[in-house]
Amino acid sequence: MKLVCLGLNHETAPVEVRECFALSEAGLDRETEMLLSAPEITEGVVLSTCNRTEYYAVVNGDGVNGLEDWVCEQRGFAGSRNGVFYHHESREAAEHLCRVASGMNSMVLGETEIFGQVKKAYQRSLNRGATKGILNKLFQRAFGVGKKVRTNTKIQEGATSVAGASVELAEKVFGQLKGSSVMVIGAGEMSRKTAQALQSRGATSVMVTNRSFDKAVDLAAEIKGRAVPFAGWEEELTHLDVVIAATGAPHFVVKPGHVEAVRRKRKFRPLIMIDIAVPRDIDPKVGEIEEVYLYDIDTLQEMADQARKRRQEQLLVCEEIIREEIDKAHLPGTETSLKPDSSSIDP
Amino acid sequence: MSIPRSSHLKGEAGEASYMGMEIWWLVLSTALAAAGAVLGWREMKAESGGRSAFWFMTGAFCCQLMALGWRGELRGKCPLGDVGEICLFLSWSLTLFYLVTGSTYRLSLLGVFTAPFVVLLQGIALVPGAFDRGFTRVTTVDPWVEAHAAFSVLSYGALALAAVAGVMFFILNYRLKHRQLEGTLMQGLPSVHRLVKAMARITLVGWLVLTVGVITGLLMKSGSFNVHLMVATVTWVLYAVLLGVYFVRGLPGKQLAWGVTSLFVLSLLVFAKL
Repeated sequence: MKLVCLGLNHETAPVEVRECFALSEAGLDRETEMLLSAPEITEGVVLSTCNRTEYYAVVNGDGVNGLEDWVCEQRGFAGSRNGVFYHHESREAAEHLCRVASGMNSMVLGETEIFGQVKKAYQRSLNRGATKGILNKLFQRAFGVGKKVRTNTKIQEGATSVAGASVELAEKVFGQLKGSSVMVIGAGEMSRKTAQALQSRGATSVMVTNRSFDKAVDLAAEIKGRAVPFAGWEEELTHLDVVIAATGAPHFVVKPGHVEAVRRKRKFRPLIMIDIAVPRDIDPKVGEIEEVYLYDIDTLQEMADQARKRRQEQLLVCEEIIREEIDKAHLPGTETSLKPDSSSIDP
Repeated sequence: MSIPRSSHLKGEAGEASYMGMEIWWLVLSTALAAAGAVLGWREMKAESGGRSAFWFMTGAFCCQLMALGWRGELRGKCPLGDVGEICLFLSWSLTLFYLVTGSTYRLSLLGVFTAPFVVLLQGIALVPGAFDRGFTRVTTVDPWVEAHAAFSVLSYGALALAAVAGVMFFILNYRLKHRQLEGTLMQGLPSVHRLVKAMARITLVGWLVLTVGVITGLLMKSGSFNVHLMVATVTWVLYAVLLGVYFVRGLPGKQLAWGVTSLFVLSLLVFAKL
């Protein structure tokens, strides 16, 4: 018996190839059943996310080459396989799964969503009886390693996107964003992403304003906010905590006078202003007002770059944890000791 | 604590040739506060929350109580008669408010800034001569004098803590305004919002306690409106104006921070001169 992993991801395959192998919820169940119907495969878990499709299996015989042929046949893929698939066996496969569960193999290094996706994939196979001793033990260990890596390293620290950096700054000013009011000036993609990032941290009242009111209404509907006519956006400043500006205007939209006019009414409460437009929407002089914290796209981009760099620097520490944990677990890595574990394991 | 009342302690304390127990309690307290400062700083650098500072300051607080109790027994009244006792009492009240507000507002990092301040004050108290030994144990006390002294110094503990929060605000505000967003200190500091609230609330508590201090001062038997009481009243009025402006009209955080730090330093300097 041999543990194998066959997969493709955003690093090895372009989107047009990845979409050939992407599987829906129902498709995953079918695929798992068919995988197990192959006589040389005794256990299997299929993982499919937007950036990867991976097969973990315990096989007899030809191992991973046979599996690759089978998968391509199933998906009707006749294109070039050159460099598309990666193959791992035994210990390498175990280490790879730990990397995936830890977010080390993700497009956004250290992202957390993958952990839940791996867990869900394993749970689905467990429920269908597709996993037994070896994969149960392997996945349980991978979940433990994933948690340890995230707890003991800084792999998931810091915001790696402009929207995330905006949230981080807003939290540095307000502590928590629960109940805070946000205005988005401009109804583009960056506005949507940043507003949604703030909402995900608890911002409740989101207003959208745009020169084209229809676009403001559309975005407001999408993010469950409120559209405000562009002519009257300044009046709303009194109640706001965060302003995000991302219009295509060639001149400053927000000027010091706008904020000066409402300072007394605001009782000089802190106001954070995020300018993600180029050319800039907010006059830099606004940032000179005492209670205003103004950041432009360069600052946010630098924060995101720094966070990515810090995460990269953590990779060696993460690898060390994985090596130690795999050694301790006596998992399938030492080619000869791949013994099923018959103990009952809860996911 | 039961303090032995040997004959030489009952009379002229200055006649006692041995080193008072209060010194040992103070040394222990200072060591604990210093350890709290160092560990708090290290925890902050390691981004682990600064919890040790809280527990070490709790230990320092207990030792301060013992030292104050000892001095109180020696004097037979509230121990606020010399530089050492004032520093000790101020450290005690500063630590008390740190422990109370530290858990309420979860400003555990306040300990990183408070602990060195306590060490400094207690270091001054430990300078030879800071504790007066040539006094006579009093037999009768004016309770209003005692209450005035105790409440006034207690209020200064809170006002000092507000000033510490003000210094933290300056650091945070400078770094946010100058886009110095990376680093351990930046990650460890509380948010702007939380610091502004903390400054206002701690100052309000200190001002309320100071109010009691001023009122009890006016009720003293030797109740002439002397310079000391006048300065205390002016300080009270200035803090009242600051709080009034903040709560009624509103103030930018930076101006509030200037207010709480400059008023504290100013009043401390004036009282030191008196």
